[in-house]
Amino acid sequence: MSETKTHKKRDIFVEGPIDPAFIAESIAKHSTKHDIGAHEIFLGQVRADELKSPQGMATRGPATGNQQPTTVQAIEYTAYRDMANEQMAAIREEAFARWPITCLHVHHSQGIIKAGELCFFVFASSAHRQMAREAVAYVTDEVKKRLPIFGKEIFQGGGHQWKHNT
Amino acid sequence: MDVKLFGLIAEKAGTERMQLSAPDTDALLRALEQHIPGLSSLSYALAVDRKIVRDNVKLGGGEEIALLPPFAGG
Repeated sequence: MSETKTHKKRDIFVEGPIDPAFIAESIAKHSTKHDIGAHEIFLGQVRADELKSPQGMATRGPATGNQQPTTVQAIEYTAYRDMANEQMAAIREEAFARWPITCLHVHHSQGIIKAGELCFFVFASSAHRQMAREAVAYVTDEVKKRLPIFGKEIFQGGGHQWKHNT
Repeated sequence: MDVKLFGLIAEKAGTERMQLSAPDTDALLRALEQHIPGLSSLSYALAVDRKIVRDNVKLGGGEEIALLPPFAGG
């Protein structure tokens, strides 16, 4: 993977979960870059949140006061893809301007991702650990804030609600 | 103009696209609020040509418009 600082049009979206094997391959591809001394990775995984009284439950009928806890079994991600990729390009430039990182890779899932599966992969490499670490933290936070990605939390046994980042 | 709808807003509208015409974004939002039940009580941002706009902006008709509910990536 020849990641350079030129501004190629990149698409960060992958259909379905991010395969751990893909992450391993991404790491392995850097073995020829001998100026790298540190890799930093953030992985987002879908969590089986338990909710007592979710809003927007489509199939549970009127509230009865007998609210069974329910669990998130998957998140269905959709995105305004063109805008998200443009925002990502801007965040990428900011990261390269702030830290002397060698490369930066970002991937986000689209479609249904089950609890326990990976949906978000941020990977930066640099000569020393501190810059890769700071760049990954920055990029992760900015992606959550600025990319128009939408998440439908699908409950065990039916119903859903729309996730939003806080 | 073609308005793209996403997430909860697309769900409320029952569609991911809407055709409307308006001279500026304020007028467009008023029209959208009439067409999408409950929109005025939802939290959302308006994007013109893939950039979020907060003030009223004039529209020529060729812009790419999108209504964006709260983001949930990551």
